[in-house]
Amino acid sequence: MLLEVNGLTKYYREFKLDNVAFSLDEGYIMGFIGRNGAGKSTTIKSMLNLVHRDGGSVYFEGKDFFQNETESKAHIGVVLGEFNCYNQSKLKDITAVTKRFYPEWDDNVYKSYLEKFSLDESKKVKELSAGMKVKYALTLALSHNAKLLILDEPTSGLDPVSRDDLLDVFRSIIEDGTRSILFSTHIISDLEKCADYITYIKNGKVYISQDVESFKDGFRLVSGEAEDLIKLKDHLIGYKEHAFGFTGLVKKEDLDFFEGLKQAPADLESIMIYVEQEEKHE
Amino acid sequence: MSNLLRKNFKLCFIPLIAAFYLFALMLLIPNYIYLIPCFFTTNAIFYMFQRCVLNNDFLYTSFLPVSKRDSVKAMFILVVIIELVMLALYVPMIFLNRVAVSTPNSAGVDTSVTLIAMGFCVFSIFNLVFLPSFYKTAYKAGNSFLKASVAVFCFIFVSEGVFIAANSLGDKVGFFGWIKDHLDCWPGSAETLVPQLIVLAAAVVIFAALTMISLKRSEKNFEMVDL
Repeated sequence: MLLEVNGLTKYYREFKLDNVAFSLDEGYIMGFIGRNGAGKSTTIKSMLNLVHRDGGSVYFEGKDFFQNETESKAHIGVVLGEFNCYNQSKLKDITAVTKRFYPEWDDNVYKSYLEKFSLDESKKVKELSAGMKVKYALTLALSHNAKLLILDEPTSGLDPVSRDDLLDVFRSIIEDGTRSILFSTHIISDLEKCADYITYIKNGKVYISQDVESFKDGFRLVSGEAEDLIKLKDHLIGYKEHAFGFTGLVKKEDLDFFEGLKQAPADLESIMIYVEQEEKHE
Repeated sequence: MSNLLRKNFKLCFIPLIAAFYLFALMLLIPNYIYLIPCFFTTNAIFYMFQRCVLNNDFLYTSFLPVSKRDSVKAMFILVVIIELVMLALYVPMIFLNRVAVSTPNSAGVDTSVTLIAMGFCVFSIFNLVFLPSFYKTAYKAGNSFLKASVAVFCFIFVSEGVFIAANSLGDKVGFFGWIKDHLDCWPGSAETLVPQLIVLAAAVVIFAALTMISLKRSEKNFEMVDL
């Protein structure tokens, strides 16, 4: 197993990251989803020791990450949103400093991504647009032959064409079966295109962590009339009322209650929207 | 560690710090508090940390394959180098003062080996207060600098007070007389040079000890910081 997170816990005054656990094997992309404030970034930061965890363990390539932090980080590429460091410095100066930390830094790969993303090394960070800053952060993360890429909102701020290109890059990275990507995003459609696994975090706890197809297959969208809703709403995870009745999300094992109603496969975005309504309706 | 030092020199060190070294010329001002250039050096260090905060340097460094402890150590090495360069500049300025300023300093300690020892003490106090306080949050540089400045000024006020008293009461009080004749004067003979070198050695030991204590506290504090 490339990455194993067990019982990761972090207490804040008004929020608790509660026993977060998931694992990721080599050669896959895992999408990390959840609402704002659900604990995605806290999980990523706790995993990387940027935030002091209160409990739990992280194993990378079978070794305790926290015991082998330096060695492990040399094989991990991290992007937390856009690159917002050293605004007055030129990209080439930052790269010159950064590359020395990574034994497996590859100048040819670095140059190929500069070209692919149309990045000009002689520019200063402050001269880059938000999207270009994300691209530079990705270029640094992708150029040292990382076994695991941890990307927090890597596609936000990018135009649709760049996003699509980037998803192709992600697929090509994992092609050889030795590397994996964990990335969090609010753009669920990006995950539909490239993720093999989904870890869904809700209120600081892992709601579900499994492969995308099983995840989607565990739910169905059902539609019916207003009077059906009155009888069945206790069996629905979440629902929305409209002029013709309602549409809601149901667990596959509860489908028997909805015989005769219109049913459809659920997509990731609908699952997330209706699951987040669960508490509102309770 | 060498990679971290290179990063600090390339991305954290600001050319403005070099300009702060010009304050060493203040040692040519007659009747002046000659520890003030050391205080200005602490200002430069504060600006450097402030810039690191604005540049998200601490977050960036935490992505790199280095431990938090090593990143603190590397910043300490940079701080100590900046401080030692200023004290090294004091040496030629002390000789120049001897040539250019003929009157003894009535505003505090005179240009002597003792002055360099006092400089080490200023930096010891600054390192002990500023750095562990800063590394509690890794962003409150201003607050930490204020605390350190109060401590540094208390030291300057008391120590310079002793040398001013030595100047005015040296003939009446034996203790002040000894300070005036052995520490607050040009070390031209063995009788003055030896006690001044002993004071310098003691100051270097204090500087090393307090900076090490500060390093341990800073490492511990930074370990608990949530970036």
